[in-house]
Parts: sequence; C-alpha cells; structure tokens
Amino acid sequence: MGAENQSLQMVLGQFPAEAGSLIPILQSVQARAGYISSQAVCEIAQALRLTESQVYGVASFYAQFRFTPPARHGICVCLGTACHVRGGERLMETLQRELGAAMGTSTSDGRFDLVRVACLGCCALSPVVKVDSDIYSSVTTMKLKGIVNGYE
Amino acid sequence: MDTSRLDSLRELARKDFANLASAKVPVVYLGAGSCGKAAGADAVKKAVLATLEERKLRAQVLEVGCVGPCYLEPLMDIAAFGNPRISYANVSAEHATQILESYLVRRDPMPGRAVGHFGDAEFAGIPRFFDLPMLKAQKRIVLRNCGFIDPERLDHYLATDGYEGLKKALGMSPDALIEEITKSQIRGRGGAGFPTGKKWRFCRDAKGDSKYMICNADEGDPGAFMNRSLIEGDPHAVLEGLLIAAYAIGASSGYVYIRAEYPLAIQRLCKAIAQMHEVGLLGTDILGSGFSFDLHIKEGAGAFVCGEETALIHSIEGKRGMPRMRPPFPATSGLHGKPTVINNVETLGTVAQIVRHGADWYRQFGVPGNYGTKTFSIVGKAKRTGMIEVPLGIKLRGLIFEIGGGAIKPFKGVQTGGPSGGCLSERFLDTPVEYESLAAAGSIMGSGGLIVMDEDTCMVDIARYFMGFCAAESCGKCTPCRIGTSQMQAILKRICDGNGTEADLGALERIGKTVKAASLCGLGQTAANPILSTLRNFRKEFEEHIKHKRCRAGVCQNLFLSPCQNACPVGMDVPGYVSMIAAGRFEDAIHIARETNPFLSVCGRICDHQCMLKCRRNQIDEPVAVRVLKRFIGDLARDRRIAPKVWVSSERRPERIAVIGAGPSGLTCAYFLARLGYGVTVLERLPVAGGMLAVGIPAYRLPKDVLEAEIQLIRDLGVEIRTRTTVGRDVRLGELFSQGFKAIYVGVGMYGDRAMGVPGENAAGVIQGVDFLTDVNMGKRREIGRRVAVIGGGNTAVDAARTLARLGAEQVTIVYRRTREEMPAFADEIREAEQEGVRIILLAAPTRVLVDEHGRVKGIECQTMKLGDFDNKGRRVPVPLPSSEFTLDVDTVIPAVGEFADVRDLFRDHTVKTQRDGTIEIDDEGRTNIPGIFSGGDVAFGASTVIKAIAAGERGAVAIDRYLTGDCTRVYPWRVRSRSPAPFNVGAEPVAYPMLRPALLPVAERSKSFVEVQESISSEVAIKEAQRCLRCDYREEEV
Repeated sequence: MGAENQSLQMVLGQFPAEAGSLIPILQSVQARAGYISSQAVCEIAQALRLTESQVYGVASFYAQFRFTPPARHGICVCLGTACHVRGGERLMETLQRELGAAMGTSTSDGRFDLVRVACLGCCALSPVVKVDSDIYSSVTTMKLKGIVNGYE
Repeated sequence: MDTSRLDSLRELARKDFANLASAKVPVVYLGAGSCGKAAGADAVKKAVLATLEERKLRAQVLEVGCVGPCYLEPLMDIAAFGNPRISYANVSAEHATQILESYLVRRDPMPGRAVGHFGDAEFAGIPRFFDLPMLKAQKRIVLRNCGFIDPERLDHYLATDGYEGLKKALGMSPDALIEEITKSQIRGRGGAGFPTGKKWRFCRDAKGDSKYMICNADEGDPGAFMNRSLIEGDPHAVLEGLLIAAYAIGASSGYVYIRAEYPLAIQRLCKAIAQMHEVGLLGTDILGSGFSFDLHIKEGAGAFVCGEETALIHSIEGKRGMPRMRPPFPATSGLHGKPTVINNVETLGTVAQIVRHGADWYRQFGVPGNYGTKTFSIVGKAKRTGMIEVPLGIKLRGLIFEIGGGAIKPFKGVQTGGPSGGCLSERFLDTPVEYESLAAAGSIMGSGGLIVMDEDTCMVDIARYFMGFCAAESCGKCTPCRIGTSQMQAILKRICDGNGTEADLGALERIGKTVKAASLCGLGQTAANPILSTLRNFRKEFEEHIKHKRCRAGVCQNLFLSPCQNACPVGMDVPGYVSMIAAGRFEDAIHIARETNPFLSVCGRICDHQCMLKCRRNQIDEPVAVRVLKRFIGDLARDRRIAPKVWVSSERRPERIAVIGAGPSGLTCAYFLARLGYGVTVLERLPVAGGMLAVGIPAYRLPKDVLEAEIQLIRDLGVEIRTRTTVGRDVRLGELFSQGFKAIYVGVGMYGDRAMGVPGENAAGVIQGVDFLTDVNMGKRREIGRRVAVIGGGNTAVDAARTLARLGAEQVTIVYRRTREEMPAFADEIREAEQEGVRIILLAAPTRVLVDEHGRVKGIECQTMKLGDFDNKGRRVPVPLPSSEFTLDVDTVIPAVGEFADVRDLFRDHTVKTQRDGTIEIDDEGRTNIPGIFSGGDVAFGASTVIKAIAAGERGAVAIDRYLTGDCTRVYPWRVRSRSPAPFNVGAEPVAYPMLRPALLPVAERSKSFVEVQESISSEVAIKEAQRCLRCDYREEEV
C-alpha cells in the first residue's frame, strides 16, 4: 500500500495539475502498477480537483485502462481486418479453449490475460499476436502453443 | 533568421552520409520497423552483430525503416566494396550469418539469394529493386527516406535536405505559404480529402491570440499502417511539416496525438523531438525567425473514435473521447476553444517537400483534382503484401494485380477505406483511385488500407465483422450510432448463424440509411458503408446464407459441418466416411458415402476435389487425400461385392420419369428418383451408358469395368437404361409425355467441339478433340499420324495427348495460349503427360493449318503470345506478339479448345429458353421454362466438372419430386447432415506424416497401354491416411 502510494505521488508530481493531464497520468499509473486501482482513482481525483466518478468516467471510456491487477503476461490477439481475413478469430478461439479463459479475462492461475486489440499496425504480416511486448507475425494455430509455452 | 548552425550541421551530415553511401566501410541495413521486428528482425540483428564480432569484420549496422514490401521481411541489405546496395529477403538468423560470411569474407554476394539491388546499372544478374513488379509503378515522395536513413539520427535527415523546407517557409510570409500549399491542391490524406490549404486559411483567418497545431497520428483503421511506418522510418519528415503548418496558421503550441498501440513510433517521435530541441528547431525564436513553437506528444488510449477531430480534441483535454456537433469546426474553435488545425501524418509528411520544390512540382503527379501521391497498404489475401506509394489516378486493378500480385486464390473483392469504406467486387477494378471515384463506387479512399479478399472470404462475415467493430468503438453519445450499430450487428450475427430471414436484408438497409443520415460524427455516418456496399455488390451470398443456410466460402461455422463437406458441390459427408475408414469400419464408410453419391470409384479417380483445396489440414502440411480414400472404398465395395445400404423410400410412386442422357448428371438424377420410389427410364443415344465418363475420359484414368460396375448399381435400383435411342430423332420429346412419362430430365451434356477459327481447319487430319476421344473409347480406332499437335490446355486436351502417346504417335505436342499455371487441366495430369513424353508449348496459338496438295494436314502455323492487361479474374489476357510466327511440322491436329451445346433437335417442338452459348437456362433447382422439363450438368452450366453434374442430377431429382407431389416441405434424408459417430480423441496431437501419394505405373509400362496409371492402395495405407483427418466436424457438445 505504501509503495503504491509513493509511486502514485511520484507520478502525480510529474504532471501539471490540470484536466489535460488526466489521461497521461492514468497511462503512467498503469504503466507502473499494471492497472488503475480504486485508490489511484481517488488520489488522482484529489490531485486534479475532479470527482472520482469523473476520473472513472474517463478511464473506463478508453480500452487501454484496466481496473484489476494484470496477470503475469498479456496476450493480445489482433482482430483487425487484415488479421481477421487471415484467420485471427480462429487464433482467439484456440487460445480461449487452450487457456480456459474468455476473451477479456485472465487465466485462473494468473499466468495470462487474454485481450483483443483492434490493430497493431503489422497488417502485411497478419495474423498477429502480441505477448507482453513481443510481436509475432503470420501466426497459425499450430504455432500458438510454442509461442505461449515461452512465457511462464 | 539565422540558420548558420543548422547549415554547418548539414554540411557535416552530407559528408558523413556520402561516406556511408560510398560504402568504403561495408554497411549492413536492417529493416527495423514494427513489421520487420514482428517478422523476426531482432534475431537477425543479433546474428549480424555476433557474426561481425566473431569474424572481426568491419561494418556499420544501420537500422532503417520500411522500404515497402513487408512480405519480404526480415530484410537485410549489404552495401560493400563499391558495389550497389544489395537486398536479401526473408532472412533468418542463419541466413544472415551465411550471407555476411559469403559476401564480406569471400566477396561472393550470393546473387541467387538476393531479391534486388539499388544501383542504376546492371549488377551480377540481380534485378534492380525499383524494377521489381511491386515497386515499378510506385512513386516514393513522402516515403523517400524510409529504408534509406537511420530514423534515429537527425544528421541523416539533414543530409537528405531535411528542414530545407522549413528554412524556405520561415523566409516566406504565412499568407504566401498558405497560397503555395493551396496552389498544390494537396488534399488531407487522413481520409476525407479536404483541401489542406483551405483548412489552414480558415484557421489563419480565425480570431484568436493562441492557436494550436495538431498532428493526427491515431491511425485506427485496421489494415492501415502507413502512418506508423512513416513515423518509424522518417519521423522528422512529419515534424518538419508540422512546424511549417504551425507557422502558416500562427500556432504557438502543438501536439502529436498518437495511438498507444504504436510504442516504437512513439519512441522514435520522442527522440526526434528531443533532437529538434537540441538544435533549436523547437522552442522560442526558431532559427532566429521570431517564430516560437512547443510540441508535446499525447498518446491515445485505445479508442478508434479518437481519430475523429473533435473526439481527439476532447481526449487531449482529458475528457471522454466523444465528438461534438460541428459547426463550429476546429479551425475556428478547437482545442480549449481556440482555433486549431488537425492534419494527418501523411499530409504533414508531404508539406515540407511541396514548400521546397513548389506547388507546380507537386502537381506533376496524380491527376487533376487528385494531385500528388498517396500511400496504401496492400494486405489480406494479396500475394505481395506491404506498403506502397503511388500517384493518384491509378486504377484499382493496377494496385491489386500489378503491384500486389493479385490474390493468392481467385480474387473476390477488395475493401478500401477501413470500417468507413466499402467492399468492391471485380466489376469495380477499373475504378481510378481518386476521392470522388471511390465515393461514387460506394466506398471511400480513407486512410489507404486495401484489404484484398479471395474465395475463402465470406462477405456476410466481413459485413458482420465491420459492424461489430463499429458497434464496439461507438462512443455511445448519439442514439442512431449507438443503437443502430448494435442492432445491425445482431441481425448480421443471426444471418451468419443460419437464422436469417428475407426481412432482415430490408431491415439492414433501412437501419443503415438512418445511421448514415442521423449520426453525430464520421464514425456513425460511415458505419453502414461496409454493409450497404456488400449488400449491393455481393447480395447473392446474403441470400445463400438466408435461403439455403449456405456459406460458400466456408467461414460461418454454424452453417456447415466441415470445410470439405461444404466445398463439395454434392455436400458429401467427407468427415463421415473418412472417420469410418480411420476406424477400420469400411462398410460404414461405403454406405455413408453412397448416400449422397453413386459414383465413388469414378469420383475417386477423376474428381477435381474441391474438398481437398479447403481441407484445414492444409494449414499444417498437406490436405487429407480424400479422393484416394473415396476410390479405396468404391473399389472395395466392388471387390467385396458390398451392396449399397442407402435410404430408399418405403412407398412406390406411380409416376414414371424419363431421363435423357446416361451421363453422370442423368444417371444421378435416376439414382435419387429411384430411391424416392419412382420408375425411371434413361434414354441414351450412344451404344454405351456413362456419357463423358465412358467416351470422354480415357481408360488409363477411368477403367471401363470400374465405371460399368457403378452404373450397374443404379440399374439394380430398378432404373432402365435404353441405349442407342436418340430423343429428337428416334422419339420426339413431346411423345415421351404421351407415352406416360410425367416429367423429363435433360442431361445430354456438351458434345460439340468448338472450332479454332483458323483457315485449314477442315482439312483431313484435323480431328476434333471430343470426337477423337469418343472414337478411341468406343473402340473405333482412328487413323492418327506420327506427329500430332493438340490445341488447348484443359482436361480434354491433356486426355487426348496422353491417349495419342499410347496409340503410337511419335511426337505429341500440346499448344496452349496462356501459361502453365493457367492451364485448366489438373496439375498431376499435366505432369504425367510430360512424363509420358508429351511436349508442351506455352504462350502460343495456331493461326493457320497448313495443307498439302492432297488436302491433308502437313503442319500448323502458330503465333507466340505475350501476357497483356489483367482481366477481372486477375488473369492476363494473351496478346499476339507481332512477327513471331513459327511452324510446327505435324500431320494431325486435334483441337480441344472448348465445347458447345446444341439442343435444337431435342427441343424442335418446344420453345426452351437457352443462353447465348446454347446452354439450357435453368433456375437454382434445375427447372427449365417448360413445366415438367428439368435439366442440369454441362448442357445447362457449360463445360464443368463431373461432381457438379452429379450435384445437378440430385437437385433435379428433388425438383421433380417437389413438382410431382406438390410438397415443398419434405426433408430428404440424404441431405441431413449429422456428426460422425466415429470416435475421436480431441486432445491428441495430429499425426505428423505427410499426405499419401499412391504409386503410379512406371512410365515404361504406360506407353502403348491403357492400363490404369494410378495404382490402388491397401487397407492399412487407407487407414493411416484417414487418420490424418483433423475431424473438423467434431463439436464439443457431442458427448
């Protein structure tokens, strides 16, 4: 708790206390803590002189922000058009089945988050899957197991 | 103004860069954009550095941006020893080491491994990179530096005349600057195409002491990544443009709003901005001009709608990214209520060059009203995917086929403009790529994403996909978009699940038009474009999903059991019989297969196996050898005398049906009618039954006894086959009705050989293809010469050629006017023909048959062809090359260039509707315009495949049954699909061995004999092959 609070205050100190700082602050908080806790919402609201519901209202609008702690690794399956046309949905289905987690949730053992992303911009090499910050291209259902096994 | 510091930096930079370019020290270029990295560039970089270290090689390693052909990534280029820079494609870590050692140590550049070079002259037989088909038509203006400079070095940008545009701009008045941009007629490249100069003018003229300049780098269109590539490959190009724009409008502060999903681009941008600060290109009094500007980066947070101007502004202000009503437009009231210009990355990337070279220079590219160049991404099912830049005005056909190489499988359509755009079918291929033309075609230019689609793409699924995307990204503020998109998504989902109704299509159109007219912002206003365009251009697919519960592309999984079964024209239960073979239950396999197809042994030898083309096993290694397995059970049934146990109606019907033509379509029709309890008489003009199966296909492909055994099974059901009876001559069509037949099925096929249309065609020694094969198959050997030319590239031509080789011709030559890949005949047939000594001359067509004094063939004059423009199918039309005639010395010519139907005799007493090519016009069920007369097979479709004829026969039988009973609700048992009861271990790994290839008779034994070429297989081999099946029919609910 204490460490989180310290980290939070550091972030808040880096930005001017104005409305336009809200999203960069949220991004910075999530980059450090992995998610936006209710504590964070409270502190940010105070620092920017906004209500908690205003902060939450902005944060919940954007797909980037999450409100539960992340799993150890994040799997992003791109479901953009080029990836869709080359079988992206099948990859998502396979991962959902193999990991036993629905899209937008985490595996029960806390190992993986499984999310959908609209487009990573590597369209010429679709379908694309990102795990943490590693991007894999021309992925097939056969390759998925090998990719996923590389992340403990 | 004081540019002295910048100028001296530039001098140094130029020298350094020239040094680099001269490659006195070898330079290794690595494609290090996000695409390159996704393809494995990091591993390549590691290997490169390691190799240079180990071998103590001196070289500079430069990580550069994307040069365009992403499908070739990872790309590694080497410039060394004064040679031009050479590019190597699809390089792995191992390749990188090999190539480096070969070139830098042994001075062997491995030309065979190279994809292109960047020099001007010829070099080592390697093609010039910019002459490659994908690059040739491109004009790289905004992308000029990508792939050629290190994007993280300001000095590289300076060396290529970077910030010269800014210098010139700062020396002009803002009004003159705006005038120049207006004169260039550059239009916003974000999608709407609004004239950039005009937008700047509005903002300049707006009242306000502080103004903002924003670069919209929120490239949200899935499929578009050109902005990302530009920022990653040449960030300063965008920033210089931004600065020029800011000066023009009088802004003192600005932002780059960039998607968080582009971390590498953000990183490069940050670095570039820091570099600008270092040399005084940002901050107060830039270059001593009096102009001050500060720039910040704002990252998007994953909302597509924030690409819309007002939503973007709200996001910067720290609010929910929801758009607002316009007017007022951002140019007058934008960020924080101040006048703001928002320009796209590509627009800004071009501005500096327009200022440097002038508006007139820019207008030399493109066409009036659409000047300049535009970047596009070619993605999806194209052969050559990547990023390109072309002058506007080029046709879609040029982009997709010339540059993109066409679709991998037959082209179906292209989607342009992202979720705001439309799906265009092949008839739009001549649309020039211009803002207005694309809008008129029902799509938009958009940000430039081009998604190529082929026959494996379901257009209903695509409409559903885009609607789902818009529904998910809708901000929710206005009702039409929020509710309309989710309602349309729900309807489309129902259609894809097989629960659609006719009324749904009208609902989609109505809701779509409302959403378009009443939504608050561009997202809603264009959300309906994909569905409205797919409905307009691909309506048939929607109707198939609704009326027939059929997804022809094999995508909507609730509509079919497995892709193989779905691709089969007859809908054979492929997983059913294959899984039974895998379990060793051969008899069950036979009965399952025979339910839908009486011709197992036949199809097992000659079918064009659409099932195998769609087999999911293709994604692992090769398809399951379904055709071979089908032959196995067909032959087994005959060998072990297993009588078919198929569904047969318990009631006997009083009506008798006449079937004209004992070919595959007629016999199949008889087969199903007999099972439905009808009396059937088949009337056949030839002395044998079987149609093309008997007289068109040679015995070495389909032995006569094999065919006869399966025809016998049809007779065993009570069908009467009367040969040597020609309807139209021996008995009139009308008489059949008076004889008591209640319905007639016409399956007479196509037996007329098309003429070549050249002089000398009627000489002795010219024997039409189908006639020739018929005579040989009927045992009426014809006199053939020693040297024979067969004209054509389909199965008839190849059958004729292989038959001639067996009959003792010394030299058989096939002459075909297109390329080998385009020959319609089966690839393995062509290969076997060549093994048997048949010669194939491609890209040639006959112009005249040469005749001797006795009127006999003595040769054939041909002309060489070259491939011209693309047609709508993506095939190049062959065009004769002038003065390219050559003569073939032959004494026999067999034209096999196509067939035609002639039913005039048959229908002398009736007015049957025919098509222009003589085929009978039928509806989806097989009904002709004459009540009681039905048709199918080649005589109705044109020359087609056996399995399609079989499917037509089945449809005809059902249509006749419906006609005679008046009952349209009947369920036909053989049409009901259910999952195979064969066991399946879903957790097991697929078996790893490759596809079975049955042995072929050795070539030496094939000549002079019509013994079957493909050998049969054993039970063990069949089981093993069947176990390769992935059981796509399996569903988890089945316990």
